[in-house]
Amino acid sequence: MSSLFGLLIPWMTRDAIDGLFAPDGSERLARAVSWMLLFAALHGSFRYLSRRGLLVTARKVELALRRDVFAHVIRLPLSFFRATPTGDVMSRMTNDVSAVWLFLGPGVLTLVGTVISYLLALTFMLRISPLLTMVSLVLAPAVILLSREYGRRFHRLYRKVQEALAAMNATLQENISGIRLVKAYGLEEKEETRFAANCDGYYRQNVSVSKNSAVFHGAIGFLAGSGTALVLLLGGWLVIRGRLTLGGFVAFNAYLAMLSFPTMALGWVINLVQRGGSAMGRINEFMRLPVEPSLMKAQSSQAPEASLEDTPAPECAKEDAKEGRPALEFRDLSFAYGDGGRGGDVLRGITFSVNPGEVVGLVGQTGSGKSTLLSLVLRLGPVPAGAVFLEGRDVNSIPLAELRRSVSLVAQDPFLFSDTVLANICFGLPSGDAESARRAAGHARILAEIDEMPEGFRTVIGERGISLSGGQKQRATIARALCASPRVLLLDDALSSVDVETEREIFREILSLRGERTILFSTHRLASLSHCDRILVLSGGAIVEEGTHDELLSLRGTYFDLYSRQMLSMELEESS
Amino acid sequence: MSDGHEFYFLEDRVEAQAVDLRLLRRLLAYLRPHKALIALALLGLALGTACQLAGPYLIKVIIDRHITAGLFPGMPRWVAIYLLSLAGAMGFLYVQMLTVSVIGQRVILAIRREMFSRLERLPVSFFDRTPTGRLMTRLTSDVEALQELISSGLVSTVGDVTVLLGIAAILLFMNPALALVTFAVLPVLVLFVEVLKKFIREANREMRRKLARMNAFLQEHVSGVTVVKTFVQEGKSDARFETLNREYASESIRLTNYYSLYFPGVELFSSVAVALLLWRGGGQVISGAVTFGTLVAFLEYAQKFFNPIKDMSDKYNILQSALASCERIFHILDMEPAPEYGPARPAEREESGDAGPPEAVQVSVPGTPPAPRADSTEGDEPRPAIEFRDVWFSYDGPRGDARHGGEPVLRGVSFTILEGEMGAIVGATGAGKTTILSLLCRFYEISRGRILLFGRDIREYPGDELRRSLSLVLQDPFLFPGSIRENVAAGGPRVERALSAAGVAGIAGSWEEGLDTQVGERGGRLSVGQRQIVAFARALARDPRVLLLDEATSSVDPVTEHDIRKALLNILSGRTSLVVAHRLSTILSADRIIVLHKGKVRETGTHAELMEAGGIYRRLYLLQFDG
Ligand SMILES: Nc1ncnc2c1ncn2[C@@H]1O[C@H](COP(=O)(O)OP(=O)(O)OP(=O)(O)O)[C@@H](O)[C@H]1O
Ligand SMILES: Nc1ncnc2c1ncn2[C@@H]1O[C@H](COP(=O)(O)OP(=O)(O)OP(=O)(O)O)[C@@H](O)[C@H]1O
Ligand SMILES: [Mg+2]
Ligand SMILES: [Mg+2]
Repeated sequence: MSSLFGLLIPWMTRDAIDGLFAPDGSERLARAVSWMLLFAALHGSFRYLSRRGLLVTARKVELALRRDVFAHVIRLPLSFFRATPTGDVMSRMTNDVSAVWLFLGPGVLTLVGTVISYLLALTFMLRISPLLTMVSLVLAPAVILLSREYGRRFHRLYRKVQEALAAMNATLQENISGIRLVKAYGLEEKEETRFAANCDGYYRQNVSVSKNSAVFHGAIGFLAGSGTALVLLLGGWLVIRGRLTLGGFVAFNAYLAMLSFPTMALGWVINLVQRGGSAMGRINEFMRLPVEPSLMKAQSSQAPEASLEDTPAPECAKEDAKEGRPALEFRDLSFAYGDGGRGGDVLRGITFSVNPGEVVGLVGQTGSGKSTLLSLVLRLGPVPAGAVFLEGRDVNSIPLAELRRSVSLVAQDPFLFSDTVLANICFGLPSGDAESARRAAGHARILAEIDEMPEGFRTVIGERGISLSGGQKQRATIARALCASPRVLLLDDALSSVDVETEREIFREILSLRGERTILFSTHRLASLSHCDRILVLSGGAIVEEGTHDELLSLRGTYFDLYSRQMLSMELEESS
Repeated sequence: MSDGHEFYFLEDRVEAQAVDLRLLRRLLAYLRPHKALIALALLGLALGTACQLAGPYLIKVIIDRHITAGLFPGMPRWVAIYLLSLAGAMGFLYVQMLTVSVIGQRVILAIRREMFSRLERLPVSFFDRTPTGRLMTRLTSDVEALQELISSGLVSTVGDVTVLLGIAAILLFMNPALALVTFAVLPVLVLFVEVLKKFIREANREMRRKLARMNAFLQEHVSGVTVVKTFVQEGKSDARFETLNREYASESIRLTNYYSLYFPGVELFSSVAVALLLWRGGGQVISGAVTFGTLVAFLEYAQKFFNPIKDMSDKYNILQSALASCERIFHILDMEPAPEYGPARPAEREESGDAGPPEAVQVSVPGTPPAPRADSTEGDEPRPAIEFRDVWFSYDGPRGDARHGGEPVLRGVSFTILEGEMGAIVGATGAGKTTILSLLCRFYEISRGRILLFGRDIREYPGDELRRSLSLVLQDPFLFPGSIRENVAAGGPRVERALSAAGVAGIAGSWEEGLDTQVGERGGRLSVGQRQIVAFARALARDPRVLLLDEATSSVDPVTEHDIRKALLNILSGRTSLVVAHRLSTILSADRIIVLHKGKVRETGTHAELMEAGGIYRRLYLLQFDG
């Protein structure tokens, strides 16, 4: 609509100019000018409305896209996050989504505007002089060919630019998060060199884009201008011959001039389209990946994509499952990290069960698979069917949300959000609850320290909990897990940075609920095992020994080795 | 959790006050090395503009001389000239676009590198309180905005002004009266642009802030995705993200609205100008006061006249947002590098002005030479390697001031580790053990007291000499993405020995790719114990005079730890080490054990002495070993 009015303006110019030479010149001039003003006003308002309509819609699409991408990505399996660098995920959720908006908003706007202007301008031009129109279009195919060629080129170039940018950002991010290391090892200069190389790469890619786009702009501009020259020549001749009015000639030129801007803008649009296209492609690579299925069982009637939260829990099964069955059971579980390519299974034929209310300790060498084993209870990786059972049900047949609400895992590597202490501890609850947070913090023996903090539970802890000591971080994550009041608690070496005395107190608190809560914990501190009913010894991904402390010692096997190293070394010291 | 996200981002409100000349001048300094290129760009611009401006004039000539006169012969020649001027315009456009963009890229290259090297030298406390997401934004999108300014802003603004003045001059020359008619709308236009600009700037700034916030949230939830999953908080995260997302969208929609108004508005003014021109000019053509060709040329020029205005006011927006970015960039560049990168300073002076806390003067009166400083007198006596003398320290609060922190973490800590000794620090969690090691590495500046390394105040060590003589294993083992070998080699030259001593070979030996196995981000593809072992090897590769171990083997099984300790005995013979461990078996053989409690040294001595004394240490020990 706006384009129509925009195009009517030159039409009026024609009237006005032609009027100049007519007897009633001034009158016609006045009429034409007032029409022009009207059209200009209409043009402006329609243009405003159409821009606004389109751009706002595009913003809304961007909003929805970003929401969907986030919702999808956060539900992808962990293996995805292990294989994809954070920087990559980030850049797709930010830069690429913005590139899509640029394409949908300004890109489409210009594109639509260009097409409409072309069509309308052509109509008017045809009305003025078909012959001149033909002539002015002679160069159109060249413009199209050129645009296509450069479109392809830009596509390639943008990919490279994106890659160079990603490399640069990765270095940057590593350096920021590892800054203590960089400083402690005096790596500043080395890292600077590396970053400089990244920057150089990025610079070169950008310059090559600039070169191409400068050529392209120049060429398109020249082609558009040549059209004008042709029209000038032929049109002039036509006017001289009296086959075209002077006003028509001027108006024709005005239309042509109007077209030259969209033609020039074409390059820009092509850029946007290419960038938006490749960005959308990158986003779609993520969107195509299947999310963590809520249910895994082949025979399950529920659609595997059923969303996490909504799947109703089959209540009946849960009730009778509780009676007599082990809280946790592993049956010949084997597991390998698919992406590692290090050869061999990390877990091999794991079979054992934990009774409800039992406290079981897990020991074994570094890398023997303890963390892997614990993470599989929560289905943080693909669990083979019929291998892991929670209260008698295959974990694959338990809706993910239900499974993870019944079992809490305190990971070995504590992660906290840069949020308040309260928000962190209540992370598993629907909303912050000061009462339960205090209780959980008390059990995890961190309450006193929180109360000493400048703003108590409202203190914001830095990224990853940077402003806490190692042991404080661990205790905060334990409090977080306790706050979710799970039926099964998995502690993965969760007290390694906590002194023995505090550790003992925490165990006492946790075990005060002994009998109600099933606990499986891994540790390297053998003294901690005095808290448990039974000990499992893992070696090379298999369970090699099982029993109480005394039984295991008498076996004189792996456990004895571990124990003697830790204990006997002390006795040696003692005697010396 | 309701207001949790408010804290994601301790906002920095660096704001640009209109066009800040000081800022611009500083920016110009970066352009100085590229004088030649700038000259080239300006030349291209001038010539290109001249060619472009010639176009309408040539058309006027063609119309007046040939078309209205009905004279075809000779016209093709003029058209050819027109074409030539066009070719010239485009050629020069090419030159100008390219050089300008190269200049922009180069300046950005320089600024980015400068920022990075400054960043690497900022104090650790800065990183404690600045979210990674925000720093990333500084070095990427802020720098990018600046580049936009230089590439499409500075030089072409010069161009736009030239065009404007040029057209104004031509118009005035051709017909002053008509020219004034053309300029008539300008005052209103300027008013319109000014008013809108204010809104646009505000919306722009707000949008950037919202974006940074959203990105910080994203970043954190990607790195903490395991936690989100284990606590089934996907739904809640969605909701919180949606809030941030919406805030950003509503800001950007506001901006979009202003922009939607902006361009059509400016265009309307140009149409009005043309109409006016036609009205006045047409009348004059009728009365014969001006030639028809002049009118046509005027119309063409008028259109060209409003383009740069539209452009410039747009550029002004770029300029505004770029200046805001610029300020944020300079803010980083202006930050003081951590003092350890500055010149070494004699610390005595500092000391004397600094009266010790009244209740804690226990080791030495300030200025008095310490007792064990006997390096020259007795040759055999080992010198003190690490010495803390009445050290007081508190962390900055979360907002970078002492207002919210301030609670001292160390209160008058004093101890000495002799050369060649193995020292150990034990104590409850949160006692300040890690802090002691950080201070020794001079990650933070102490508020009172002195820290000496080999008898010399650590503040007197020039350059990287201090850290070169130390080798630290952090409590939180951080590995760079890359292979195991690369990570160990980052520590220093003695890679092979370190690999075997730390037992890395034992781990990676059975893997297909061996030492070339990729460790993943933060070492995420290794078990935690394996990460610690690699970090340990990295420290050993450095071949340090002093080894600092902060819970370096807390997640390593006893057998492996035992092996490492045996291997260490060889490497460390004659070297000094300071070890922090909760697992007392790790430190039984230490020559000196320091028991820290709530930031104070409570007990010092060997294992036997401390057991004898029957204090905190003995209690810890019994808890650990007697079950
Ligand atoms: N970057 C920081 N900013 C603010 N406070 C901090 C920071 N790092 C540590 N703290 C605080 O200083 C105190 C001592 O911390 P430190 O890390 O030295 O303890 P630690 O003895 O190493 O404990 P752990 O055995 O748990 O590792 C703690 O209360 C902690 O919360
Ligand atoms: N994401 C991964 N990709 C490939 N391999 C992995 C990954 N995570 C762990 N591994 C490997 O699987 C094995 C078992 O790791 P796991 O973390 O379960 O050991 P762990 O018993 O918990 O050891 P630690 O006592 O050191 O914590 C190790 O050899 C480790 O290198
Ligand atoms: Mg583990
Ligand atoms: Mg610590």
